[in-house]
Amino acid sequence: MAKQANKLVIVTEKVLLKKVAKIIDECGAKGYTVMQSGGKGSRNVRSSGQPSSSDTEANVKFEILTENREMAEDIADKVALKYFNNYAGIAYICSAEVLYGQSFCGPDGC
Amino acid sequence: MDFVSLFVKDFILQLQSPTLAFLIGGMIIAALGSELVIPESICTIIVFMLLTKIGLTGGIAIRNSNLLDMVLPMISAIIIGIIVVFIARYTLAKLPNVKVVDAIATGGLFGAVSGSTMAAGLTVLEEQNIQYEAWAGALYPFMDIPALVTAIVIANIYLNKKKKKSVAAQSIKEESLSKQPVAAGDYPAQQDYPSTRQEYRSQQQDPDDNRVKVWPIIQESLQGSALSAMLLGLALGILTKPETVYEGFYDPAFRGLLSILMLVMGIEAWSRLGELRKVAQWYIVYSVVAPFLHGCIAFGLGLIAHYTVGFSMGGVVILAVIASSSSDISGPPTLRAGIPSANPSSYIGASTAVGTPIAIGVCIPFFIGLAQAIGGI
Repeated sequence: MAKQANKLVIVTEKVLLKKVAKIIDECGAKGYTVMQSGGKGSRNVRSSGQPSSSDTEANVKFEILTENREMAEDIADKVALKYFNNYAGIAYICSAEVLYGQSFCGPDGC
Repeated sequence: MDFVSLFVKDFILQLQSPTLAFLIGGMIIAALGSELVIPESICTIIVFMLLTKIGLTGGIAIRNSNLLDMVLPMISAIIIGIIVVFIARYTLAKLPNVKVVDAIATGGLFGAVSGSTMAAGLTVLEEQNIQYEAWAGALYPFMDIPALVTAIVIANIYLNKKKKKSVAAQSIKEESLSKQPVAAGDYPAQQDYPSTRQEYRSQQQDPDDNRVKVWPIIQESLQGSALSAMLLGLALGILTKPETVYEGFYDPAFRGLLSILMLVMGIEAWSRLGELRKVAQWYIVYSVVAPFLHGCIAFGLGLIAHYTVGFSMGGVVILAVIASSSSDISGPPTLRAGIPSANPSSYIGASTAVGTPIAIGVCIPFFIGLAQAIGGI
């Protein structure tokens, strides 16, 4: 069986890593995955492999699975309001079906 | 004339020194579109090694020296860090097409210290056998932190003032705006998004939301990769006996690693230049003039210390070099977090593309020449 879930994806600047993680925790999400990322957007190409002695160019991508859509929207709103005026960032929701995952489905599985 | 000839001689010597040669080499290969990439993790480890070495040198030296000698140069460093930000606030910020917050952030970055520029300066002094206090590297945090704190504080004071002014104006505007139909009808995401955002805004209006807290800024700078490496080295140098690893590993590897870092900085400078061109041209003027101006102020203050407490001329040069340097490793993320509304292209571009090459290539030989002309070293 699979359990319906919302996958919230937030791509933003690496300098915000800890701050976004804090917001996600505060909103009550059970967990998240972060990966390094890069690409092109409204603020030019970021993390395109240029050498850099500081971390201001790097991006991160958060993936958060939530049971209800409200929590996902809550997280996205809080992050976007606080940071997206001044930092590069995008947030979107996909629907997902969780197959395995103890913290999400409980000890008995999905 | 004596000074000019010394300076020209030094400048040519400096062009041939590995430090500047690698910097220029990096710029040239970047300009030619080379695909050469030095992995970021290598830069991180190089920065760690360089600053640990500087810290260790300083720590070992402090153990055998009189701490009172440090007081006046330290105070000078703090004063310079603060003054530099105010210079930017009242010169660069007044220029056309320059936003005030961007200018303050640029000032903060130019006031803050570049570990790599300092390392280059120390190397050149050693190459030329000029004596300096080994603890001079420890002046780094005393200039770096005040500059970043001052920049973030005055930028936020400015923004809060501006906000208060606009709040009054906005409340009148909002009424008329709400009656207008939404113009961007073909942009579906915007239709419901602003309404939730605005709802949020009104809920989140904390009156003391924007007050600047100084302590977290200091904490953040101290926790930054460059400063924590240096402070660790300093502590280890003072408290333990790291001479064996120092002589066997950190000291011999120093120059080679510095050359790699210089290459990276050259490549980065070139790639940032295009970004800088998109913001106001005045940043280029500022980042050419500012390193000299800041260095001269530091040189003046250093001379006072030289005549009163016997701060060596080599030390004066280091003080001038760290004043003319602009932070490129730990400063940008701190400013990015502290003044989010400032445009990073402007301040990081100004510092990395123009400020750092000028500081390394021109200011180091300039101040050594100046010291030789005045102090006869």
